[in-house]
Amino acid sequence: MIAVQLKYDLLMFSREIFYVVFSLLVPPATYIFLGQLFSDSTYPGLSYADMATPSFVLLIAFSVVFFAFGFDQVANRAEGVEKRILLSPVSAEILLLSGILKSIIITSFGFVLIHGIGFWLYDLSLRPVQLLTAYGLFLVFNTVLMTVASAIYSFFTKMKSALVFSIIIFQIVLVTADFSFPVNQMPEFVQTAAQLNPMYHMNHLFIDVWNNQLIWNSGTWISISYLIVLVFIACVILFLQPKKSVK
Amino acid sequence: MTIVQVQNLHKSYGSHHVLRGIDFKANAGEIIGVIGKNGAGKSTFLEVIMTVKSFDEGDVQLFGQSIQEASGLQLKALRQRISAILQPTQFYKSLKVEELLHLFRAYYQSDVKVEQLIADFSLASHRKTYFDKLSGGWKQKVSLAIAFLAKPKLLILDEPTTGLDPHMRQMLWSYIQHYNQKTGGTVILTTHSMDEIERFCDKVMLIEKGRVKQFDTVVRLLASGYASMNDYYLQNVPHEEDAS
Repeated sequence: MIAVQLKYDLLMFSREIFYVVFSLLVPPATYIFLGQLFSDSTYPGLSYADMATPSFVLLIAFSVVFFAFGFDQVANRAEGVEKRILLSPVSAEILLLSGILKSIIITSFGFVLIHGIGFWLYDLSLRPVQLLTAYGLFLVFNTVLMTVASAIYSFFTKMKSALVFSIIIFQIVLVTADFSFPVNQMPEFVQTAAQLNPMYHMNHLFIDVWNNQLIWNSGTWISISYLIVLVFIACVILFLQPKKSVK
Repeated sequence: MTIVQVQNLHKSYGSHHVLRGIDFKANAGEIIGVIGKNGAGKSTFLEVIMTVKSFDEGDVQLFGQSIQEASGLQLKALRQRISAILQPTQFYKSLKVEELLHLFRAYYQSDVKVEQLIADFSLASHRKTYFDKLSGGWKQKVSLAIAFLAKPKLLILDEPTTGLDPHMRQMLWSYIQHYNQKTGGTVILTTHSMDEIERFCDKVMLIEKGRVKQFDTVVRLLASGYASMNDYYLQNVPHEEDAS
């Protein structure tokens, strides 16, 4: 059953232009575009590819999880699909597992895609152990994002409001997560806002792990603690959701 | 054999008390119409017996099994025996008709062949059409085809013919009647068409403000002095302006 559900979940994703554009076209296109502008620049000890590759991999994960996983849940709820599926004997666990696997498959494709672009265009060096470590953390961040996205989108019952929220949050994340615009060169209030953005913390942790430069200092612990607190709050929100069906 | 037994069913949305002590019983092979004004509680009642909506008080038994006491596995087994058309009818919009049939065939672990279903419901011309692109009538037709994938013992239909032209109505009813007569399945539906109630239903339950105002056979209701079910409805369900 899980294989059938997953097959159709992936098929539906591939047919939703909105999801595909925001998750698999915009991030790689931005990665290439910025690379054309800044690939000659060097950051303290790191090249453009070393800095940007993990960032854009993470941006794809964010886009997939928030659009194709979180927003998709709202769309199914608002359009009555969720209720109709609930009526069939398929278990909620199968649907959830398929949604998780779908997100992991698509984000993993994004992981490979960005690394492929980096390899071909920006002389990115790929080291297997480093890649595997980064991929492991990438899966952990996928889990964090899915939990937080599920909690946030559980508040939405209307597609229009969820769509507006998704597009706004995408812009905010793009600006304040240190993905493409250096936060430390931005106004004070943006830097403060960035500290509240979980993607900012994930991005820096991921860049450090990806480059094998993780240092266990207070900043690292603050980032990890912040993410753990967010996941805990998200779990509480999901747990407290009112029961809609008999089971 | 009793298929559905409901006792003293209560359901509220916040402070809005939608169902106020509904008692109901459906036997095998019966076609029962649930009627009442918009907002009377018809759809909520159907969604409770479909097991997709929780309730506050009372007892609901399907096939002799209390749904509030059923384990997850027992509930899954109950859902294998129930099919429904919801209002409005919605499925994954970016799947084509035949893909939806394959997906739901897997959900219900049905041995009904998709090709057979496409032939039975004359869906061949729209098999490659996205569900979202179908007209209202075709959506209902596909929904009914999906409902029959489960070989249900209980079919629950929420306003299945609303907005359909007479040809489509006739066709849907021919499928429903055929199912009822061939399999002995029970059908519970809501409709605003008193003509359909009179022609196709064995019993009718009138809900008013969340309470059962009357529950009887169509034959007995008509014999009690009403020229038609339309006449019965007009005399027993106050018009909004009359009520205010």
